[in-house]
Amino acid sequence: MATTTNTNSVSSGLTAKARTSSVYEWIDQRLGLSDLAAFARKKTVPVHAHSFWYYWGGITLFLFMVQCFTGVLLLVYYRPGAEAYESVRQITFVMHFGWLIRSAHSWSANLMLFTILVHMFSVFFMKAYRKPREFGWLSGMVLLVLAAAFGFSGYLLPMDQLSYFATKVGLAIPAAIPGIGPVVANMLRGGTDVTEFTVQRFFALHVVVLPAIFIPLLAFHIWLVQKHGNAVPPSEEAKPVSERRSMPFFPHFFRKDLAMWLVSLNVLALLASVFPWQLGKQFDALAPAPVGIHPEWYFMSPFEMLKMLGAVLPGEIGEIAGLLLFTLGIVLWILIPFYDSRTENGRRARNAHYFGLLAMFLLLATTAIGYWTVK
Amino acid sequence: MNYPFWYVPFLGSGWVIGIIAIFHVMISQFAVGGGLYLPLAERRAMRLGDKETADAWLKQLARYSKFFLLITGVYGTISGVGIWFAIGLTNPEATSTLIHNFVFGWAIEWVFFLIELTTIAVYYYTWRRIDPKLHLKVGWVYAASSFCTLVIINGILTFMLTPGDTWLSVAGTGHEASKFWNAFFNPTYWPSLALRICVCASLAGIWALVSASRIDGAKQPALKTSLVKWSVRWLLPSFVATPFIFAWYLLMVPSSQRALLSLGIDTIGSGTFSTLTHIALILIVTSATIILVAYYLAYRNPVDFNTAHAVAILLLALIATGAGEYSRELLRKPYVIGNWMYTNGVRVPSAVKIDQEGYLTHSNWVWNGSDLAYSRGEAIYRGECGACHTLNGYRPLVTLLSGRDRTSIENFVTMLHEYKADSPYHHFMPPMVGTRQDVEDLVDFLNAQVNKPAAATVNAAQPALISTQTAQR
Repeated sequence: MATTTNTNSVSSGLTAKARTSSVYEWIDQRLGLSDLAAFARKKTVPVHAHSFWYYWGGITLFLFMVQCFTGVLLLVYYRPGAEAYESVRQITFVMHFGWLIRSAHSWSANLMLFTILVHMFSVFFMKAYRKPREFGWLSGMVLLVLAAAFGFSGYLLPMDQLSYFATKVGLAIPAAIPGIGPVVANMLRGGTDVTEFTVQRFFALHVVVLPAIFIPLLAFHIWLVQKHGNAVPPSEEAKPVSERRSMPFFPHFFRKDLAMWLVSLNVLALLASVFPWQLGKQFDALAPAPVGIHPEWYFMSPFEMLKMLGAVLPGEIGEIAGLLLFTLGIVLWILIPFYDSRTENGRRARNAHYFGLLAMFLLLATTAIGYWTVK
Repeated sequence: MNYPFWYVPFLGSGWVIGIIAIFHVMISQFAVGGGLYLPLAERRAMRLGDKETADAWLKQLARYSKFFLLITGVYGTISGVGIWFAIGLTNPEATSTLIHNFVFGWAIEWVFFLIELTTIAVYYYTWRRIDPKLHLKVGWVYAASSFCTLVIINGILTFMLTPGDTWLSVAGTGHEASKFWNAFFNPTYWPSLALRICVCASLAGIWALVSASRIDGAKQPALKTSLVKWSVRWLLPSFVATPFIFAWYLLMVPSSQRALLSLGIDTIGSGTFSTLTHIALILIVTSATIILVAYYLAYRNPVDFNTAHAVAILLLALIATGAGEYSRELLRKPYVIGNWMYTNGVRVPSAVKIDQEGYLTHSNWVWNGSDLAYSRGEAIYRGECGACHTLNGYRPLVTLLSGRDRTSIENFVTMLHEYKADSPYHHFMPPMVGTRQDVEDLVDFLNAQVNKPAAATVNAAQPALISTQTAQR
C-alpha cells in the first residue's frame, strides 16, 4: 500500500516536472531564454572595498519602477486642466490610500534624483566613464536631465499655491536666455503666464513625452552596463588580475540587489508614512507668493549659483554671464570621458578627480547656502 | 492633578519616553530571545559530531555572550532605569496608578531581573571553566528568568490598553489591587505575549547575525555559513505567525480603539488623525520585508555577509520596533489607561467635577515663580495639552491652529470641551476639562501664540495670571 502511494507521488512529481520542463522548452525555443540565463551566469561583478557603490544604479532603477507603478495609479484619478487641484485633493483626502500612493510617488521621485546623483558621483570617482564606457556616461547624463525634467513637470501638477509660484519662478530661468528664451518659456507655459494650459502641457510632458524618451534611453544605459560590465576603481585596477575577486551577477549579486531594493522600499515607506506629501491651498494668481518660496532641493544649487552671480554682476549681464558659466561647467562635466580617457593615472586623471571634488563641493555648499538664506 | 507638570519644549515629554523606550524594548526583547538562543546554540554545538566545528561554534558563542552581556546587562539596565525616570516625570498620575496596582508584579519582575543579571554574568565568565553541562544549565536558568520578566511586564503594558471590565468596576474605590489577576490577564495579554515572543526570537536572530557577520568568511567559511544560516532561521516563526497573531491582537482591542486605524486610511489631516495608520503601515512593510532582506543578504550569501549588511538588517529591526511601540502607544488614544485615565492624566470620572470646579483648582503643584511670567492659560496648556503637543516642535499647536483667529480657536477648544460623541476628535483626543473661564484662559494663551501681533492686546487686556496663592493651593 505504502509502495503504491510512493510510486504514485513520484510519478505525479515527475509528470509535473516534465510538464514544467516542456513549457519552458516551448518558450525557450521561441524567446531564447537559455541564452539569457547563460549570459546572466557568465556576467560577474567585482568584489572589493568599494563594491557598495554598485548598488546605486539598481536602487535608482527600483525607484523608477515604483514611480511608474504609483504614477499609473495616480493617473486613474488625476484630471489635468481646470480640475487639477480638485482631483489631487480627492486623491489625497478622499480616495482610500490615495495619500499613500501620492506620497510614495513624490518621495520616490526625490529619492530617485538623490540616488542618481550618488550613482553619478560614484561612477565619476571610480572613473567608470573611461573607454569603452563613454556612452554609458553620456546616456546617464541625459537620464539625469530627464529625471530633473520629470521632477519639474510633476511638481506643477497639483496646482497648489507653492507649485504654481515655484513653476513661475522656475520658468523665468529659460526665459532669461537671450533671443530664444521668451519663445521657449511661452511654449512651455502655453502663454505668457502659468495657467491651466501649462498644467495640460506639463501633464503631457510628464506622462507621455518624457517616458517615451526616458524608457528607451534607460534600456540602452542598462544594456551598456551588461555589455561592458562593472568598472573597477583605479586602486583595484592596479592589482594583478589573479588578486582581484568577483562574484557571479546571477544569482549572487542579483539577490543582494533585491535585498537593497527591499531596504529602499522600507526607507520609502518610512518617509511616505511619517512625512506624507502635503497639499497646499489652491493656487491664486493674484495672491502674493508664499513666504520662503524656494526651488526644490535638486534645483537649489543652480538657483543659488545664479543668485550669487547676479549679486556680483547685477542686471542682464549677470544673468547672461551666469547662464554661460553654468552651461560651460555642465559641458565640461559631460565631456570628462574625452579629457580623462587614458587608463593609466596621470595628470589628467588627477585634474578630473579634483574637478569632481570641486563639483561635489559646489553642489553641497550652494545647496546648503540656498536653504540657509531662505526667508 | 496631584503632581507637577513636566513640560519639554519642542520635543515633547512623550518623546523622552519614546526615545528611551524604543531602544530599551529592542534590547530587552533581545535579552529574552537571546536568552533562548544562547543555550539552544550551545546545546546544538555540544551535539555536533565534528569536534572541530563544535569547538569553533563554542568559541564564537563565548565571544557572542560577551557582546550579549554588555548590550543587555549594561545598556538594557541603564535604559530600563531611564524609563522609570521618564514615565514618572511625564505621566506621574498613570505611573502612580500602575504602581498602586502592580507593585507586587514589579517586585516579582525585579527578582527575576536580579537572577537574569547574575546568571548572564556567571554564564559569560564560566565558559570552559566549569563542566559544560553545568554551564548549559546556567544558560537555561538565564533563559527562564529573562522569559519570566517578559511574562510579567507584558501584563502591565497590556493592562494600559485593555484594563478589562472587572478592574474598571473597582477602579477608584481603593480596592483596585484586589483585582490584580484580572487586570494582569487582561483581554490583550495572550495575543500580545505571543506577538512579543515572536519578536524576541527575531531579534535574537538579528543580533546573532550582527555577531556572525564579523567572522572572516574567507578563513572560516563552514563556521560562518552554519551560524549565519541558523541565525536567519530564528526570524522564520515571526514571519509566519505574526500576521495571524496580529489579527488576534486587533480582535481583542476594543472597537473604539480599532476605529483609530481606519481613520487614517482616508485622510492626512494635519493633526494626529492618521498617524497610527501611517506608523502601522511602516510596521507591516518592515516586518514583511525584513526576513526577505535577511534571506537574500545572509542566508543565500552567508560567506559574503558583512557587518554593513548586518547593520542594514538591524536598522530595519529598529524601525520595526519603533513603529510597533509607537503604534501600541497610539492605539490607546485618547487614554493612557483604557477608559480610566486620559493621556493628560485626567481620570475619566473626574472630568465632570473638574468642569464644575476648575482645572487649576485641582492642580496642586502649579507654581509660576512670579506673578507675571506664567498665565493661567499657559498652566492649563501645559497640563492639558503638553502631554501630546508642543507649541513649535512635535505636533506643534502653532502650526496646527495657524490660520485661525481667536473666535475660530475658541470654537475649536469649545468643541473639545463639549466632547460630543460625533466629534472626530472624540476618537483620539481627551476632552478639554475645566470651567468656562478655563476655556477662555486657554484660548487667550493659544491665540497669543498663534496670532502674535494681535496677541499683545489680548494679553494686556486679560492678564489672568496665576497668583502665588492659587499656585500654592
